[in-house]
Amino acid sequence: MTDPAATSADTPPLGRHGQPRHPDTVQAQALPATVTEYPVAFTGTAGEYFRLWIVNVALTFVTLGLYLPWARVRNRQYFFGHTWVDGQNFEYRANPAALLRGYLIVAALFVAYAVSGQFDSTQWVAVVLALIYAAAYPLLVRQSMRFQAVNTVHRGLRFRFHGTTGGAYVAYMLANVVASVSAGLALPWAWFMQRRYQVDGLAFGSARAGFRGDVGPFYLIGLTALGLSLAGGLLIGVPLVALIFFVVRGASGNLDPSALDALGLASSVTFLAALIVGYVGVLLLYVVAWQYIRGATMAYVLNNVELGGVVRTRATFSPWRLVWITVTNAAARVLTLGLASPWAAVRQTRYILGGVTVRAIAPLDDFAAGVGGETSAFGEAATELLDIQVGF
Amino acid sequence: MSGSTGPIILEGVYFDGQSSRDQPATLTVDGQTVTLSVAAGAGLGLPGTLPLVHRWPARLLGVEAPIPGVRRAVTLPGGGRFETRDDAGVSAWERASGRNRALSGVRALESRPWAALAALGVSLAALALFVIYGIPAVARQAAFATPRSVLATFDRETIDFLEEGEYFGPSKLSAARQTQLRTEFRKVAAWAGGGYPYRLLLRDGEAGGLNEMGANAFALPGGTVVMTDQLVELAKSDRELMGVLAHETGHVTGRHGLAGVYQALGLTLVTTVITGDIVSAGTFAAAVPAALLRGGYSRAAETQADEVSGAYMLKTYGTTRPLQTMLGRLEQDEEEAGDSSEDSGPSIFDLISTHPGTPERIAHLKRIEAEGKLTPKR
Repeated sequence: MTDPAATSADTPPLGRHGQPRHPDTVQAQALPATVTEYPVAFTGTAGEYFRLWIVNVALTFVTLGLYLPWARVRNRQYFFGHTWVDGQNFEYRANPAALLRGYLIVAALFVAYAVSGQFDSTQWVAVVLALIYAAAYPLLVRQSMRFQAVNTVHRGLRFRFHGTTGGAYVAYMLANVVASVSAGLALPWAWFMQRRYQVDGLAFGSARAGFRGDVGPFYLIGLTALGLSLAGGLLIGVPLVALIFFVVRGASGNLDPSALDALGLASSVTFLAALIVGYVGVLLLYVVAWQYIRGATMAYVLNNVELGGVVRTRATFSPWRLVWITVTNAAARVLTLGLASPWAAVRQTRYILGGVTVRAIAPLDDFAAGVGGETSAFGEAATELLDIQVGF
Repeated sequence: MSGSTGPIILEGVYFDGQSSRDQPATLTVDGQTVTLSVAAGAGLGLPGTLPLVHRWPARLLGVEAPIPGVRRAVTLPGGGRFETRDDAGVSAWERASGRNRALSGVRALESRPWAALAALGVSLAALALFVIYGIPAVARQAAFATPRSVLATFDRETIDFLEEGEYFGPSKLSAARQTQLRTEFRKVAAWAGGGYPYRLLLRDGEAGGLNEMGANAFALPGGTVVMTDQLVELAKSDRELMGVLAHETGHVTGRHGLAGVYQALGLTLVTTVITGDIVSAGTFAAAVPAALLRGGYSRAAETQADEVSGAYMLKTYGTTRPLQTMLGRLEQDEEEAGDSSEDSGPSIFDLISTHPGTPERIAHLKRIEAEGKLTPKR
């Protein structure tokens, strides 16, 4: 689970027992078993979340960063608590004090890495730290998955993550190495391995989740993004080259490269403007391609999750619309110096969760508790600070 | 503060922690005893949903911290949970039993518009204070804490790098002149103190290399000071040169070079934390303010080094004028080389430049002379 998000419902839908039922709950008779659909609802609002966010940011500053874990947990609790399925919301229960320890260790290591990288005589420290991080990365991912799962509560039961260390090394080290030595050809396969590892390890109470997806669609997503990048690159590149061609021609009257006055070219306003447009275009293209991959992957994964053989999820949001939301969100964040972040987060979450439905052939109150232990907050802190994209 | 009159009755949903079944229930808080009662038939006659009543001492129960708009959760002994929309009731219980004081305070702030505005102001002020005072102060401490062996290595590596990059070549000054300058520099170095292994390197700044630096002088953290032949030629007297060299020793004793390295690092870290990314559009957008800030830090260091130089010149020659004329001549020299803005008045470029404007620096040196500052602010 990442930060959930969803439809506008002023009042949260309620479950059974004389409480009003959500109007969208339908009984579909398409399958032999009766499938009940439960739309996911998100009841958070931008204004309410902005107030929570800014107060916690201020407290983080005033406490010189020591309050950061509490701020993080509260932000996440807001999103979880406002996500409803069949009249019950999700809850996030991480212990901020435990997170703080991990944050401090990671921050110290990160500062040591950054400082030692500044001087040639201490460069080796930075290299050693980077190697340790690379070697432990799959462990950190697994630890982080476990931490997030065990601290997510729904209907009084915790989620769990059963992924093995070996599995983590296959999905997050071997797959990435294969993807890079194959010049990206195996990259979609690596995405597939990672998503499968994440979903297959997940459990709600004692019910295990399973990933029913295949490698093919990941290749389709990768090829779509590649085609998009190539087409966009041509759209940006060709006019730029043509413009340079004309500027050079206009400047020197012929096309002898030796007559090209580099300084004159660089100082030409048209040329500079074109260069800036080209740069922004490439940046935009890069963001669009990656966000498409993220959105399409998320939709595909959500359409292929199965829980305990009785629950499946369905995603009806459009990856392209999600790209549009992400890009405009990023623009809003930059233009408001980050103050639009809460609005952007609520907007994105609302759209994604508005397109997610839980479908079950058994009542949702039939799950039983599993057994699980404590997890260290260290993996969670490491992934938070170093911004590893785990989760969906 | 116990203004509790009678028991607090909360209506909500009970989960036993063993299954995902939700059962309507009532939680009654009466002083130090809490009673949970699940009505018969609540579970629609399903197995495991018998009517039940549980009693616990209140201290065994946990109340989860409040989040705006989210229903309240109470954790029960044995892994059960009780969820309720009755925020007022749970808050009353919290107040009576002194639970979640801090986070209830946070929630109170989160629900007030004026608090959001105040938080916005506090955040911006804290960020500004941190960037303007915090980072330089920490960078200074880090620079002074850096061991001397690192400084020496830093000097050696930098000189090697500059020589390989053809920034300068061997000096063309006569051996006698070089010795003379070194002897005079020893006086400056002895005055500057601080136990640094000062040495003066004379180099030709127009040796025909790719990156020649022209008339220039700079100091490295370990006490190595480099001065080019072109600067020596530009000076009308050795007093002017000693003024420049004293300024450079000010950079050494103030550890400005290292502090600059740490400041840049600090800005990078802050940018990374704020944008949450190493390479992003946000980082790109933050590059301009970061450059402005670096320029500001650097200008502060120059002003400090001018103070040191002014103090030396007052002590040795009784005036700061030689450095003033030298600065003026340096600027003229740069203008002739054609890489400086035409106007000498304040301009937007002063914001981006790493040195204060020459007129300001000359005025500053005049002030030092007028006030007769013999001891620089360190």
